[in-house]
Amino acid sequence: MIEVKNLSKTFGDRKILDDISSVFIEGKTNLIIGASGSGKSTLARSIVGLVEPEEGQILFDGRDFLKMSRKDQKELRKEIGFLFQGSALFDYMTVAENVRFPLDILTNLSKKEKEERVDTVLERVELSHAKALFPSELSGGMKKRVGIARAISPRPKYLFCDEPNSGLDPQTSIVIDNLIHDITQEYNITTLVITHDMNSVIEIGDHVLFIHKGVNAWEGDKTSILTTEHQNVIDFVYASEFMKNLRKK
Amino acid sequence: MASLLFNIGKYFILMWRVFSRPEKFSIYRKRFFNEMVSLGLDSLGIIIIISVFMGMVITIQTAANIDSAFIPAYTIGFTTRQSAILEFSPTIMALILAGKIGSNIASEIGTMRVTEQIDALEIMGVNSSAYLIQPKIVAAVLINPFLVIISMFVSIGGGYAIAMLTDIVSVTDYVYGIQYDFKPNHVVYAVSKSAVFAFLFTSIPAFQGFYAEGGALDVGKASTRGVVQSSIIILFANYIITQLFLI
Repeated sequence: MIEVKNLSKTFGDRKILDDISSVFIEGKTNLIIGASGSGKSTLARSIVGLVEPEEGQILFDGRDFLKMSRKDQKELRKEIGFLFQGSALFDYMTVAENVRFPLDILTNLSKKEKEERVDTVLERVELSHAKALFPSELSGGMKKRVGIARAISPRPKYLFCDEPNSGLDPQTSIVIDNLIHDITQEYNITTLVITHDMNSVIEIGDHVLFIHKGVNAWEGDKTSILTTEHQNVIDFVYASEFMKNLRKK
Repeated sequence: MASLLFNIGKYFILMWRVFSRPEKFSIYRKRFFNEMVSLGLDSLGIIIIISVFMGMVITIQTAANIDSAFIPAYTIGFTTRQSAILEFSPTIMALILAGKIGSNIASEIGTMRVTEQIDALEIMGVNSSAYLIQPKIVAAVLINPFLVIISMFVSIGGGYAIAMLTDIVSVTDYVYGIQYDFKPNHVVYAVSKSAVFAFLFTSIPAFQGFYAEGGALDVGKASTRGVVQSSIIILFANYIITQLFLI
């Protein structure tokens, strides 16, 4: 479980996160949604320590991340898997090497154990056949799946996915969404997905946090988001004419 | 001025992080040998081509500018050797490698920055600056002196080829000239400064790439800044080292 308490972050004179609090539940897919520039990526980056917030608390199963020493923060980061928006695969490594890299760095597994782990996670994301390929030889969806495989290879307790569907077609997006959801349940990890894709919300939103102008504007799940009367959420969910008409019906 | 001081401070802080203790030596060792090949052996071709022509041109120009009967012919070989050892091989090669290797380093690390690969390393608990930059600096500092020594031999060999192929100087005079008044400490001076230059033409572009922001255009600008700054600082360092060692 990850708990965020009264988190604030300012860039220049612009307040990006304004006193945000929320609880992200273990074994559930927690979605952070909101319009572009609402602060959802900054929230995720603050939680993992890529951005330093000015105020607030971030508790990883009760451990206060912001009060830890740098060494302890580094140790805690070993429990975090992160899928980046552009996958962030290392260009000079093959798929297998990319997936094995966190194991080389973070674990003391034997060579054989590492190979077995790589095979297992690549099989899980259905990319066993692509082991020897380089990232430049992969499609967008395959890159995302390799990114997921790399993120889960060291068996993290927390998984962060930044816009996992960006640049993907609707069918591939659903495959990626379901993969993230299934992995969350299989490994019983706390997963945070940053997205503005409503299909993802409807498909996998066990817990949904809606951020509006850096503020926690609404919280609920994939069912309640469709019926809420919160105006900002309605404007976001029913943005298109098609959705507006659907709501009227 | 404030910006300059800020960047100098930022550079030294980065270097402090670069030379902190590695997470796992085995990973760094592999990267170090890869960098030795990529920064050293892959530069050998251009070093040899430039050095041979450099030696030939120095020999011809020296011969063309000596028209006094009081200056012995072996001066041509002597001048070629001294020019190659003291200046051309260490400094000109450093400037050429600043362009070749420096732009490569800045664009590689800059691209990793803007595509979030550096963030990915940080999330994994890896000291990204040490992992990416340290093997490059160490490999270049160790291999550049060897490249410079090769360049010295090839330059002098280029001059020898001119002596053999033309009649502007006899082979005997040229060979006598290149052996005349040889001072081994000149080679020590050249090799020492080549190691300093290698540190500069790897660390400065790495610094520019590491703090690149934005997109492809910004990576290009960071790469240009890395090459220009490292070239200027190499020339400045050359002056300081020469003043300290030779005067």
